[in-house]
Amino acid sequence: MNIGSDKLDPHTWLDEHGNYLYSYALLRVKNQHIAEDLVQETLLAAIAAKNSFSNKSSLRTWLIGILKHKLVDHFRRQERNVTFKDLTDEDDNFLDSFFAKDHHWREKLNVFENPESAFQQQEFWKVFQQCLSRLKPRQAAVFLAKEIDGMNNQDICKRYSINSTNQWVLMHRARLSLIKCLKINWID
Amino acid sequence: MLNCKQASELASRAMDEKLPIWSRLALKIHTLICRNCRVFMHQLRFLREASHRFAIGYDLELSLEAKQRIANELEKR
Repeated sequence: MNIGSDKLDPHTWLDEHGNYLYSYALLRVKNQHIAEDLVQETLLAAIAAKNSFSNKSSLRTWLIGILKHKLVDHFRRQERNVTFKDLTDEDDNFLDSFFAKDHHWREKLNVFENPESAFQQQEFWKVFQQCLSRLKPRQAAVFLAKEIDGMNNQDICKRYSINSTNQWVLMHRARLSLIKCLKINWID
Repeated sequence: MLNCKQASELASRAMDEKLPIWSRLALKIHTLICRNCRVFMHQLRFLREASHRFAIGYDLELSLEAKQRIANELEKR
């Protein structure tokens, strides 16, 4: 198979991978214009660095790798303006809405019936995306890195400058929030 | 003996890495007697499956204007 042709023709990259890069970016920055700019920056950087693309990875994986760097830069710029509260006091009462004083669940939990049928409905994915977008920024970042990008724990800790305990806490909270949000907004 | 808060923390952690043996046992014992935590573990697996499918199927399109604008920028190089 000749994948070298891709490499030689960056003109096709926007058509072939633009939407994919855009979807990836928009899920993370939640702003259409910023996501579009990131796609542009990514493609410009890719064209400038096209000689460093090796056929070992697919072109798309390589482009996503560049986009990830652009996203990290973007969040760094942003973090200078937005100060996230310290992890521990991010929300002290957060768990109180799930657990009573005796540390047992406040409410009876119920499984999601018929996952397959949920996954086939547009409405479910709309709700899912809304729930993702309601996560706190740090929770969202770590959750997406883990579950959507499939990054390993070590890389996640490195990228977000957190330790494993921070990661457990953030993942635990993200999951509790998402499950609760899905349970409220999705009738299965 | 674990309480549900601790059990839920371990259950979440167990989705991401192999727990130390004692934590694993403690969680196992807790879920034997706790229905809610068993359900929570189901929900965690549901969430993982949903996330993975979302990752594959999430598909948006650049607007034509944006595409044109980016194409123009790329053309300049």
